[in-house]
Amino acid sequence: MKTRTLPALIAAVTSVAVLAACSGGTRAGDSGGGSKTLTLASVDQGSVEDVVKAFEKANPGVKVRYTTSGADQYQQQIRTQLSSGTAPDVMSVWPGNGNPGATVVLAKPGYLRDLSDQSWAAKMPDAIKTVAQYEGKTYNAIFGQNGIGAVYNEQAMQKAGLTAPDTWTDLLAFCKAAKAKGTPAFALGNQDNWVTQLVLYALVATTVYGPDRDFDQQMQAGQATFAQSQWATALDKYVTMEKTGCFQKNPLGTNYEASQALAASGKTLGIIQGNWVIALLKGKNPKGTFTLKALPATDDPSQTLIPAAAGAGYGVNAKAKNKELALKFVNFVMSHEGMNLFVKKQGGLPSLPDTGYVADPSLAELSKFITSDRTVPFMDQLWPNAKVQQTMLSGLQEIFSGQSTPEKLLAEMDTDYKSGS
Amino acid sequence: MTLAPHEQLPDHDRPPDAKRAPKVRRARTTPPWWFALPALLLFAFVVLVPSVRGVYYAFTDWDGLDPDFSFIGLDNFSDILDDPDAMQAIWHTLLIAVSITVVQNAVGLLLALGVNSAIKSRNALRVFLFAPAVITPIVTAYLWRNLLGPDGAVNSLLGAAGLDGWQQDWLGSPQVALWSVIGVIVWQYAGYSMVIFLAGLQSVPKEIHEAAAIDGAGPVRRFWSVTRPLLAPALTINLMLSIIGGIKLFDQVYALTGGGPGHATDTLSTLIYKDAFTLGEFGYSIALAVVLTIIVAVVSTGQYLVLSRNERAVS
Repeated sequence: MKTRTLPALIAAVTSVAVLAACSGGTRAGDSGGGSKTLTLASVDQGSVEDVVKAFEKANPGVKVRYTTSGADQYQQQIRTQLSSGTAPDVMSVWPGNGNPGATVVLAKPGYLRDLSDQSWAAKMPDAIKTVAQYEGKTYNAIFGQNGIGAVYNEQAMQKAGLTAPDTWTDLLAFCKAAKAKGTPAFALGNQDNWVTQLVLYALVATTVYGPDRDFDQQMQAGQATFAQSQWATALDKYVTMEKTGCFQKNPLGTNYEASQALAASGKTLGIIQGNWVIALLKGKNPKGTFTLKALPATDDPSQTLIPAAAGAGYGVNAKAKNKELALKFVNFVMSHEGMNLFVKKQGGLPSLPDTGYVADPSLAELSKFITSDRTVPFMDQLWPNAKVQQTMLSGLQEIFSGQSTPEKLLAEMDTDYKSGS
Repeated sequence: MTLAPHEQLPDHDRPPDAKRAPKVRRARTTPPWWFALPALLLFAFVVLVPSVRGVYYAFTDWDGLDPDFSFIGLDNFSDILDDPDAMQAIWHTLLIAVSITVVQNAVGLLLALGVNSAIKSRNALRVFLFAPAVITPIVTAYLWRNLLGPDGAVNSLLGAAGLDGWQQDWLGSPQVALWSVIGVIVWQYAGYSMVIFLAGLQSVPKEIHEAAAIDGAGPVRRFWSVTRPLLAPALTINLMLSIIGGIKLFDQVYALTGGGPGHATDTLSTLIYKDAFTLGEFGYSIALAVVLTIIVAVVSTGQYLVLSRNERAVS
C-alpha cells in the first residue's frame, strides 16, 4: 500500500492542477484592466476603428479594447457572452425587435442600461426613437440611418445608354433592355440568405406602406395578415423581376461578395442593396461612380417609398465593468463629431437632424426621401420575434429554387408572426 | 479495442517468446483501478457533467438569454416530429453519412492500392493526396464555394472542355447542392482514409501474397482472399470514423451553403446551430442535439458490433 501512495498523490495533484488550469481558462475571457480600459464589441467593421481612435485621442490615457465581427457571427456570440456574464461594456445593438441582437430582445431580460437620461435621447426623431426604445425607455444609441434602393453603376449605365427607371413599367423595360445588351440590370447575391430580403423590402415599402402607413399597427392588432395584404403583390413583383431577367443568372449560387464584384465591375448595371454597399463597391472599383435611387414598384413615381431605417447603434451593458467610460463612449458616438465620423465612413446618414452633415451626392435621393418623410422602417424591425424573418429568408431561397410558393411562404410567416414574442 | 493487424497474424519474424513476454508481465501487475481515477474525474467534470446538465435544457423552453424558463417535459421532442425542417435535416444527415462512408472509403481504398503499388513518385503522390485532409475544413469550404460558383473554375473548365451541358449551379440548385457538399467532403477526406488503408496494406506480409501467387491466384483473387480479410481492422476504423464524421458534419456544410438554398442542405448540426443561435430556441435545439447524440450512438455501436464480428470471422 505504501508504495502506491506516491503515484496516487502525483495523480491527485496533477488532476487538481489540470482542473484549475481549465477553470482558469474560462476566466481569461474577462476583460480585466483598470478604470482606463473600455471593452467594446462592434459590427461596424471598417468605421468603428476611426471612431475609437478619435475617442482615445479626445480622452488621453483611455484604452479601448474592441472586437469587430460580421452580423451573423456577432448576434450568436453576444447572446452567449451576455448570458455567461462575459459581455463587453459597450456593444452593437440593432434597433427594434425581430433579430437576436435587437434592442427589445436584449433590453427585456435586463441586459442593457437605460440611456434615457443622456442628452441625445430626447433629440432623436420619432422614427428612430420608436426602435431605440423598449417600454418607453431608450436603450440604443442609434447614430445612423440606412436605406435600401437600386445602386447604379453610372459608367455601366452610360455604356449601356440607359437611365434609371422611376415606374414599375419602366423598370421591367429597363431590365429587358439591359439583358439584351448582355449586362443584366441588377446583381443579386441570394446565396447569403440575408440578401434575399432586400429587393422584397424595397418593393414592400411602396406596395404595402404606400396605400397604408399603419400596416404594422394592424398586424399587431391582429387585423391584417401577410397573406391577405399587399405583401402578396410585392412578392409577386419580386418573382416577376426574376422572370423578366432583372438579375444575373443563378442568384442562388452567387454570394454577397460575388454580387458586389458584378456590380462594381459593370457586369451588371447595378445592385439592389443598402447604401452601405456603396463604400464596398468603391473599394472594388475606386474609379466608379455609384448612385442610390428608389426602386419603383408602381407606375406613379410620387407614391414610391424607400425602406430607410435606423442602423445598428450601441448599447451599454447593464453590468458594465466600466460604466462611466461606457457612457462617455456612447455619448461620443452621439456627438456631432462621432456621429459624422461614423456615417461618413459608412456612407449612411446621421440619425440626429442638426449635425451639419453634408451627405455624399450618391445619397442625395435617400436624403431627400428622409427629409420629406417618404421612408418606412425595415419591415422586420417591428416584428414580434426573430423567427418571422428567418422563415422569410429561407423561404425566399426556396421560392427562387422552385421548392416553395409565395402563398406558402406568406402563410408560414403569418404563423410565425402569430406565435408572438 | 480493435487489434492492430500484426497482432492477429502468425508473425514469422519475431521469436515466439517476444510475443508472449508482455502478456506474462501484464498478468502479474494489473494496475489498480484507481489509476484511471484522474482521467475519469477529468472526463466527468469536463465532458460528462456539463453534457448531462445540458440535456436538462432539452426539457425546457429556455431562449438562451432569459434566466426565467419553465420545464415543458417532452414538448420539444414532439415538436421535432412535427417539424418538416427537422425531419428533412435528419434525412439529409443520414444520406450524407451513408454516401460519404461508401464513396470516401471506396475512393480511399483505390488510392491506397494505387500508391501501394510500385509506381514512380508514389511518396510524392501519397503526400499530395493526403494534403487536403490537413487543411482546415473552413478554408477548403471557402475555396470550393468560389470554385463551384456560377462563374467559378469548375463551370469554366467544363465550358472549356465543351461540356456546357454539365455546367450546374452547384451550390445554388437544391437538387445538386447536397451532392456538391458530399463531393467536397470526399475530396477532402479520401486521402485520410487512404492513409489508414495504406497502413493496413503494408502490414500484409509479402510471404502470404507470394504463397498465394505460387498457388496460382491472380491479382484480383489475391486482393479478395488475402488482402481484403487482412484489411478488416483498417476498414472498421475507416467506416467508424467516416460515418460518425458524416453524421456530425457541420463546418463544411455551413461554410459552403449555410444549409441553403432554403433548407436543401440543412443537416442536424446546422439546424441545431441555427435554432440555438439565430432563433434563440435553445431548448428545442438541445432536444435536436440529444436526438443527434442518440443517432450517433446507435449507428456507431451497431456498426462496430457488425464489423468486429466480421473481423473475428475473417481472422
